[in-house]
This record gives sequence, C-alpha cells and structure tokens, in this order.
Amino acid sequence: MSAALQNIINQPYKHGFVSDIESDVAAKGLDESTIRMISAKRGEPEWLLDFRLKSFEAWLKMTEPTWQNAHYPKIDFQAISYYSAPKQKPKLKSMDEVDPELLRTFEKLGVPLHERMALAGVAVDVIFDSVSVATTYKAKLAEVGVIFCSFSEAVKDYPELVQKYLGTVIPSGDNFYAALNSAVFTDGSFCFIPKGVKCPMDLSTYFRINTEESGQFERTLIVAEEGASVSYLEGCTAPAFSSNQLHAAVVELVALDNADIKYSTVQNWYAGDENGVGGVYNFVTKRGLAKGVNSRISWTQVETGSAITWKYPSVVLLGDNSVGEFYSVALTNHYQQADTGTKMIHIGKNTRSTIVSKGISAGKSNNSYRGLVKIAPSASGARNYSQCDSMLIGQDSGAHTFPYIDVRNNTAKVEHEASTSKIGEDQMFYFAQRGIDAEAAVSMIINGFCKDVFQQLPLEFAVEATNLLSFKLEGSVG
Amino acid sequence: MHSLLAGQPGVATSKQAWLNKLRSSAVESVSELTIPTTRDEEWRFTDLTMLTKVSLQPAQTSVKLSAADIQRFHIKEAENCLVFVDGVYAAHLSKIDNSLIILNNLSSLVDSQAALLQAHLAQQVASAGNVFAALNTAQLRDAAVIMLPRDTQAKAPVHLLFIATQKEVVSYPRTLLLADNGCEATVIEDYVSLQDETYFTNAVTEFVLADNARIHHVRVQREGVKAFHIANCAATLSRGSNYQSVNIAMGARISRYNLNVKLAEGAECSADGLAMISGRQLADTHTCIDHAQPHAISRQLHKCIVGGGAHAVFNGKIMVRRGAHHTDSEQSNHTLLLTDKAHIDTKPQLEIFNDDVKCTHGATIGQLDKDEVFYLQSRGVTHEHARNMLTYAFGAEVIERIPVASLKHSLEQTVLEQTSAKI
Repeated sequence: MSAALQNIINQPYKHGFVSDIESDVAAKGLDESTIRMISAKRGEPEWLLDFRLKSFEAWLKMTEPTWQNAHYPKIDFQAISYYSAPKQKPKLKSMDEVDPELLRTFEKLGVPLHERMALAGVAVDVIFDSVSVATTYKAKLAEVGVIFCSFSEAVKDYPELVQKYLGTVIPSGDNFYAALNSAVFTDGSFCFIPKGVKCPMDLSTYFRINTEESGQFERTLIVAEEGASVSYLEGCTAPAFSSNQLHAAVVELVALDNADIKYSTVQNWYAGDENGVGGVYNFVTKRGLAKGVNSRISWTQVETGSAITWKYPSVVLLGDNSVGEFYSVALTNHYQQADTGTKMIHIGKNTRSTIVSKGISAGKSNNSYRGLVKIAPSASGARNYSQCDSMLIGQDSGAHTFPYIDVRNNTAKVEHEASTSKIGEDQMFYFAQRGIDAEAAVSMIINGFCKDVFQQLPLEFAVEATNLLSFKLEGSVG
Repeated sequence: MHSLLAGQPGVATSKQAWLNKLRSSAVESVSELTIPTTRDEEWRFTDLTMLTKVSLQPAQTSVKLSAADIQRFHIKEAENCLVFVDGVYAAHLSKIDNSLIILNNLSSLVDSQAALLQAHLAQQVASAGNVFAALNTAQLRDAAVIMLPRDTQAKAPVHLLFIATQKEVVSYPRTLLLADNGCEATVIEDYVSLQDETYFTNAVTEFVLADNARIHHVRVQREGVKAFHIANCAATLSRGSNYQSVNIAMGARISRYNLNVKLAEGAECSADGLAMISGRQLADTHTCIDHAQPHAISRQLHKCIVGGGAHAVFNGKIMVRRGAHHTDSEQSNHTLLLTDKAHIDTKPQLEIFNDDVKCTHGATIGQLDKDEVFYLQSRGVTHEHARNMLTYAFGAEVIERIPVASLKHSLEQTVLEQTSAKI
C-alpha cells in the first residue's frame, strides 16, 4: 500500500468534538428505580411504565449474546448512565430560539439545519442526546395529517396510537439489547402516516451522542396505514470519545395494506482511533412488519462508523404479495468490526425479497454479512434474491459471509450469490494510465462497487454517502 | 467411565504403547464431552435426540457372511477390497493384492508400520471437542489402512466396504490413507446394510496426501432406512497435491458427514456431494475447506434432492487464512425440493482473511422448472416421466464425477429408481 494512500485511509474523524452544553445526567447504574425515575422524569403514563418494567424483567433473565463475529471487552451495564437530557429544554417555536451552541454543533457537522430544510425541504427532528429539541416542518405535515414528532410527545399527544403499535414488531423480550432498550429508552421519533396519504417530503432525524459514557437508547416507531407511503432518513455522527459508548436502538416499522415505507440510514459514528481505542458500540434492533397485502418495506443503509456495528434490519413479510428489500454498504477500517445483514421472513403468499449487501474491509478490520432467508410452509410462490459482495483492501482485513437459508415450501425460489474481490493493480494501472490519480481511482472503483445500493438512497443521502466513503476509504489500495 | 462409553467394553491393550495412549486420551476427551444438541451452532439443524434414546450394544463378531451375501455390492474394477462387517474386519471376504500398495487392516500392520501409523493415526481428525471422533478413537480396535509408496500409480480403485448386519449395534469404522509423493489412487468408501433395523455407524476417515499425490475419494452412504450415520473425514493436502472427492448420501434416518480439507501451497481439491433423501430422512453435510497456504484451488458442487418430508442440511465453509494469497475458490449449492413437506437449511459460509483472493459462492433452492417439464411434454413425454428425467439429470451432474464406471452406472440406476418411486 503506498504512503499516499495510507494517508488517505487514516484521515481523522472529522466530526470529533464535544459540545459544551449542560446535561442533566442520571447516576450510573440500572435497577428498577432507574426505570421508574426515567419514566417519572418523562411524565409517562402507567402502561408505558408497565411496558418498561416487563422488558426489564425479561432482560434480567437474558444473557448477553456472544455468537456474533465481534470481539470487545465485556460491557458493564451498571457503569452506564441511563439518562442524559440537556438541562435547557425549551418549548421552541422557531429555530432562532435554539441554543446557539447547539446550532454551531450542527454547523460543524456540515449539516446546516435551516439551509438543509430550505434547500431539501426536509423536516428534521433533531435528537440531541435523547431529548428532541426542535421539530420542524410540523405544520406542513400536520396539514396532510402526518404525525412526525419525538417519541415523548407522541406518548403525551397520541397515547392510543403508540400503545397500539409499540412492541408489536419487536416484543419487549425479543433479544438482549432490544429488551434493554425497551426498559430504558429515553426518546426517539414517532411517525404516523394516515390512510391514503403520501408523505409530501422525506422525513429525517439526526441522532447525535453527546454526553460521554451516556448510552443512547433511541426508540423509533413508524406506522404507515392503508395506502400510505413515506421515506424516512436517519443519519448519525458522534464526537470522538476515548471510552466506548453503547448504542442500543430499536426501530419498528409497521406497513398496513398497500403501504410503503422506505427507511434509509447513513451511519458515521466515531469508530475509534487507528489503534482500535474507543468508538461506539452500535447494537441495534431494526425490524419492519409488512402486515398488509401488497405492502412494501425497504431498508437502505450505509454503515461507515462505529467500532462495532451489529445490526440486522429485517422484514417480516406477513401480508400476501408484500415486498421486503435490504440494500447495504458496510465499510470498516482500522480495527472496526461490522457484523450486519438482514432477515427476510416470508410468511404470506407470493412475497418477494431482495438483498444486496456490499462489504468493504480495509486495514485490520473485519466485515461480516450474516443473513437469514426463511420461507415458511405457508409462503407459496415466495421469491428471494440475495447478493453479497465483499471487497478486501489490505492483507490484514477480513470478510465473512454467514447466509442462513431455510426453505420449507417447494414453490419458493431462493437464490444466493456471493463474491469476494479486491481492487486490482491492473485496475489502478488503467486509471493511472488515463491520468487519474490513485485517490480518485479508488473513489471511483468503490463507488462503482456500491452503485446498486447508492441508487436506492434519496438524493441528499447519496451525495453524503459518496463523500463519506471517499474520505473514509480513498486510497486504501496499493 | 463416562456414560457415553457405558456398556462399551474396553479395548484390549496393544503392544504399541502409543496406540494405548491414543485411546486413553480419547476416552478422556469423551468424558469431557456430551452429545451435541440443537443449541450448538454446528448442530442447530440436526436433532440427535432420537439417537440418545436408543440403546446400542457393541457389535458381536458372530455373524458369518459368505461371499454370495455381499456379491451385489461388488465393484468389478476394484482389485483390492477390504470388508468390515459391523466394524469388524472380515479377512475371508476381503481381497488383497499387495503388489503395488500396502493395504490391510490395522491389526496386521500395526507392528510392521508402527512409526508411520503413530505419526498419522488420529492426527487429522482430532478427538478434542468432537465427541463422535473421540468415541471412535476411544473404541479403536481395527481400521482399514492404505499406504501408497512413492510414485505408485494404482490404476484399479480400492474398495472399502462397511456392512451393517445387526440391529441395535454401534460400529466404529475407521480408515487411514497415507499417500506418498507423486502417487495416484482411487478409494471407494462404501457403507451398506443388509437389514432395515436401527443401528449406528460412527466413522472416522483420515487422508494424508504428500507432495503431488493425486487421490480420488468416492464415498457412498447407503445405510438402512432406520440407521444413524455420523462420519468425520479429514484430508490434509501437501504442496501440489490433488484431492477429488464425491460424496453420495442416500441412506440412513439421520446422517451427518463432516469433511475437513486443509490445503497447502498449490494444492487443489474438489469436494462434491449429492444428498438424495425422502420419507422422514435427514441428511446433513458440513464441509470446511481450509486454504491455509497460498495458490491453492478449491471447487465444490453440492446438490440436494429432497422428497417426502425429508430435511436436508448443508453447511459449506470456505476459510482463507491470512497470507493465503492467490486463493481461488468456487462453491455452489443447488437444492431441488420435490414436495411441499420437504425442507432445506443451507449455509454457504465464507471466512476470508486476505485481500488477494478470488472467492465466490452461490446457492439456489427451487423446484423443477415448469417450462422444462412442459417442453418435454410437448415432445410426447408423460408428465411423470418428464419430472423423473429432470430430477435424474439434476442428480446425475454429481454422480458423473465418479471415476469408477460400474459404480457410476449402479448409482445412476438407483437414482432413477428412486425418482420414479418418489413422484
């Protein structure tokens, strides 16, 4: 690997800084009283406290999973503070009232909120360490009846909707980290698209971990009623801390008859330094329920950050003719570890799913695709196509695929393909020959490799993702 | 003694101290292990509860078979044949021509070939962490041993025939092949049964290929319909050697085949398989092809034809270690589900720790193509016959790779009969 290329891969994390905002941080540790405290602080109704306590009970009985292809020191769940809210929690009418320090944070991230709103017409529900500070474009959405607000507001204003759908896709005792999230989640986003409404703009939330050692437990719930459709964007950046931070989010999607949900993620959290010190542990449970006939759920993700990424955005294809999609680019460098993939559970008749996963591993990192395609006996005529390609950069990197295929219906058709490749010397030579330098060449090759996935991203995200890969990976080949 | 070995008589002490030690350390391994459950990742699709519920006795030697009893298993090309009845060597049924190769049962060779045997026996399939291999080694009484001297070209295949004749017995077939530099041979490992009662075959097979050796390994598992068959096979390939294996699994109520191939620099292997099952059969194939060194090539084609309410499992792991550059590996796995109760679990797995590799794998699962059936029907072939032809053709792709004509022919007949019976 040439020195110039080495430099480019080793670019420091651009978003590493700590915003100096006073935080209201709970004492470390987790027991029933912590949960009652969180619930009380948020002024939650009884049923939600019950949900939390039930989850906590389930969590206590579970053991931390160890099957994943990732290595990290054991997490001490009692050494984490489970609640952190900026002290200043104003009810804001416009962006002008927002703490200027907060605005500067977004400025530094290169995400000028108002500009983005104006240019892209995106409503951004800003999550700043667990508490929503500003929600924009609410009025415009309210006109068509779309509810897009923070989770805590939803609990206050639309309790019957939240109660009806919360935990229906990911039950409180689903897995270790989902149970933990269900017990201690602080805030998140809630989105409800009523019958027949096409959401007039892409909805977007920016998550950001700010207080050192405060685990973030986000909860997102998106419901699309009959014939509704929505495109939801989630993007993440986190400041550079040396101690690991745990992030165990839960995202639930529900699509009723003929509904369509598209969920896109760009994740660029702090991945630790070049020696693998620090970085975010991203242990997320994401699942969509394609409940109604002809419903469609599509996950697109670009995972470039986090010391450990461990998530499997899944789709349960319950309704007849429903469609599930998963498009993923996962990039790891240095000592990063990514174990990601999807689960497509075919239950309804003529259900279809597509999986396209691109893994890129550089440095000493390890990148795993782990997926399950399950065809239940009831899923006549089900169809799945999976493709997972890996690109290895550098001789110390690792790429792994663990595809599980379980078929119990003989009318189903399942195909799985995987390949592994590297950026060849001859490819680089070809570019050099045409006067294109190594950095640009690698950027082009990588973007070509990921094209199938990037095409699925909304325009703004596609640009961001392309840039992200360019500066995270450029020149890792020699 | 541990309950897994309870009721199993101890093995008579050998003059060879190393052999005694090998067995006693395997007994120790057994005592630390239990029969795996579906909670073990390696066994998650194969439930052995049924095996734990039957009481099995070690095989008695009393059964006397005549050459006529086993005539139908005879392979005419094979000039050498070792026959084991319920795991016990049957000299009167075997046919040994030692002009080119050294071939015999372990007991006959253990003193004359002690050094070589000590160096290789139980070194490829380890007892640690593998309860069935440990049980086999702990009960190691005899084995089929094939030694190929340097540059031997053994044209005729060697036939190893393991026959099950008694019900509710457990047998421990064992095979060791040592191929010296540059030799060539074909070995047929054949598991058959003369009865349809419950019994358990727990086999271990070890192949050691020195530089540039070329070995064809044909494995045919046609145990009785109520049998349990668990086998561990390991092949270690030295520089430039070539190992071609074809594994056909048709019999047994529950069968499991673990194949581990370790490739040194420039070695080549192909590990093909066909599982053809119906009724309530379960056939599980786990393979691990380990590219430990650079420039090795591996190819794998595994097919499953699943009828009735049968359950097929395939787990194919390709491992490319750090430093194993210029690895070239291809794996494909195709499954045909014939009925709506048939079930397949497949996991083609790649683990790659090197950037300079070419690795691909593909898996497909489906039923017979309606257009293909229609095409044949449009040519006047009945629907049933068309389906049989296509099913047969699907399986024949693997059987065709068997380098022994008469065996290939008889297996093709079996597949044809089974496809006709199944539909």
